[in-house]
Amino acid sequence: MNQVQSQAGTGVIGWTCGYVPEEIILAAGLQSVRIRGAVPSLKEADAYLFPNFCPYVKNLLDSGLRGEYGNMDGIIFTNSCDAMRRLKDLWDSHVKTPFSFMLEVPKNWDEGAVTYFSEQLAALQRQLEDFIGTKISGDSLEESIRIMNEQRALMVQLLERQKAKTAVIGGSELLALCLEAMSSPKEVFTKKLREIPDQSPSVNSGLNEQPRVLVVGSVIDRLDLFEKLEAAGASVVAFDTCAGLRHWSGLVQEGKNAIENLARRYLLKPPCPRMPGFARRIDQITQLVRDYSIDGVIYSIVKFCDYGLFEAPVVEAELRSQRVPFMVIENDYVFGDIGRIGVRLEAFVEMIKGDLD
Amino acid sequence: MKAYLESIVAFTEKKLEQKPSGWHRLINELASTFSDAFDENAKVVWVSSYAFPVELLWAFDVAPFDFEIACNIIPPAISGNGSSIMVTAENQGYARDICSFYRLALGAHFQEMVPKGDLFLTSSYYCNGKAKTNELIARAQWKESILFDVPNEISRSSIEYVSSQLRGIASRLETVTGNRLDVDRLRESIRWSNTARASFEQVNELMKARPSPWDGTKACFLGIAGSLFWGSQLRHELNVMLIHEMESRIQAGKAFPESHRILWFPWVPVQQTNIFTTLKEHQASVVTAESARVYWPEIDESNPFEGLALKALNDPHVGSSQRRVKAIVGLAKDYEVDGAIHFSTPACRHENGSFSLIRDALRDEGLPVLNLEADMTDERNYSADKTMTNLLSFFEILKNSSARGCH
Repeated sequence: MNQVQSQAGTGVIGWTCGYVPEEIILAAGLQSVRIRGAVPSLKEADAYLFPNFCPYVKNLLDSGLRGEYGNMDGIIFTNSCDAMRRLKDLWDSHVKTPFSFMLEVPKNWDEGAVTYFSEQLAALQRQLEDFIGTKISGDSLEESIRIMNEQRALMVQLLERQKAKTAVIGGSELLALCLEAMSSPKEVFTKKLREIPDQSPSVNSGLNEQPRVLVVGSVIDRLDLFEKLEAAGASVVAFDTCAGLRHWSGLVQEGKNAIENLARRYLLKPPCPRMPGFARRIDQITQLVRDYSIDGVIYSIVKFCDYGLFEAPVVEAELRSQRVPFMVIENDYVFGDIGRIGVRLEAFVEMIKGDLD
Repeated sequence: MKAYLESIVAFTEKKLEQKPSGWHRLINELASTFSDAFDENAKVVWVSSYAFPVELLWAFDVAPFDFEIACNIIPPAISGNGSSIMVTAENQGYARDICSFYRLALGAHFQEMVPKGDLFLTSSYYCNGKAKTNELIARAQWKESILFDVPNEISRSSIEYVSSQLRGIASRLETVTGNRLDVDRLRESIRWSNTARASFEQVNELMKARPSPWDGTKACFLGIAGSLFWGSQLRHELNVMLIHEMESRIQAGKAFPESHRILWFPWVPVQQTNIFTTLKEHQASVVTAESARVYWPEIDESNPFEGLALKALNDPHVGSSQRRVKAIVGLAKDYEVDGAIHFSTPACRHENGSFSLIRDALRDEGLPVLNLEADMTDERNYSADKTMTNLLSFFEILKNSSARGCH
């Protein structure tokens, strides 16, 4: 499977983490694509990485080594986690795309961090300019900010419709849209978003009678988990994952100081588990539980993800104290063991139903 | 834990009365410093000293508590019974896929073995688990956890970002201790750090002798745990003791005979293993260790915050793996090693992720590399038989490689 399809005449830059401002890529006249693991099972990455290493990162490496991102001109990594830092090293040694950049995303979010992140974004801009051989104009950066803001606003609107008990569309359908948005040309996908009717075809299909589930975690690039939950009789109404609400929330201020505005928006958006501050994460999750009238929470951890392994027990303790049913699901990124997971999900949904009855 | 630490202090004092030893002094001072953190009047700062420029702490009257080292020098951990503590964390939901160092610290926290902290300092470099553990325990003690965020690149902006955080931390230390930062005292701390840096380079230089006069795995431990004392006079004194010991061993021809010279990286097990006895039996001498390397330039005492920022930014575990590759290959050449052993603890993802690049670079130099999979402190992940087999096979490779005159 060649996951990266370039538009005619447009270079493609891949990225791996939601802290990468796509606006700068777009302003350079390049296509911005969030790359996903493209292989169903690993063949080559095991030669470089240990068995107990993030399977998402291993899948990206394996996909790169096997030429699955054939049309991709470059990639922007972030220091998201230990595994991702190592992916950059291995990528540069063994995959070697023409362009590669490590974006340093601060873990703090005070003014000093915003300043430093602004300088990192300016460095990214300079590197991209060197790569394309031309300057990125202020106008094109402003235009790309406008384009991304419009898409974000539409996505948030769509995701927030799930708050209502009468207008619920399938969670797997929504996740598919989120994933598509991150990998599609922006204008094309924004047009598609505009055309989604206020009332989705799935409305009143009985989903609003079902237990409402929030999925929390990091990267979920496949629909298996959501589909299994739906098959078990639950409705995934919200997801706080790399592709979910926290990715889309918050607009970039338009106008002067574009780079600083980008830094501010990306650094201050709702945090993912990489950022310090369990309290902030718990507030974010409990707010979602309230806003979306959640009946149960699934915490999805990609195997060997330290952030998830540390955060899940803290979130669990808090949610249990609020009597919110909670379950941790570990997965191998491609959900190769979805059958086994499915049994646990069915039991969880039955338990919630019992509570609701 | 306090009782454990006091027992270590008593034991090492006895040893030191019998014979001066840099090693026993190190353990004694670590245990004694951590024990001070239980004093109810102490202003306790939790820190991972190998990943923080602790020179700043020595400019204040605080009791530094390095939770990683403290939890790993107490008898349960070193006697192969660390899991009795870890299991408490595991029962609270902390999976065994988390590094054993952090399960041990969390278990000690849940068993109420650790001292109360007044300030929790952690850092973004080395691994993700360290910062999360520090923050979890701070949260449980209703205290603030400060993350010292060190980017993976050195530039004017990263130096400013890092030094400005250090200024902020100094300000928090002022609040905790109730005393203003005495800049002269900070400069004195930096002077001691620079003096100790120079004497530690002497230690490293002496270890180049054939046969090597000291055990590189101990130097590795000193490089990590002894980080606590950068900025204190003590660190220099420890180095001087070791220098005298090594010099006298060299002069008396008492260095242990060596058939194989080994480079060791990156960590050492703290639990009891058969690794070191097996190495000794086969005259495999660990002559240098990555963690014992002096990686930072002298700190500029006239510009202390920037100097300390540069120390942090130059850490080999900050930045790309290539920085480590270059340094490790350099060590291999400088110490004329015959091979390298990578001690791989299971959940050390940032480090294990670099392994293949380091291995390939060493192999390009014609050096055999053993990936010794074990666990620093969880005895449930350790197999003496498997380790023995791996080591024996490696010695065979070294013999063959030496017979072929590979290097």
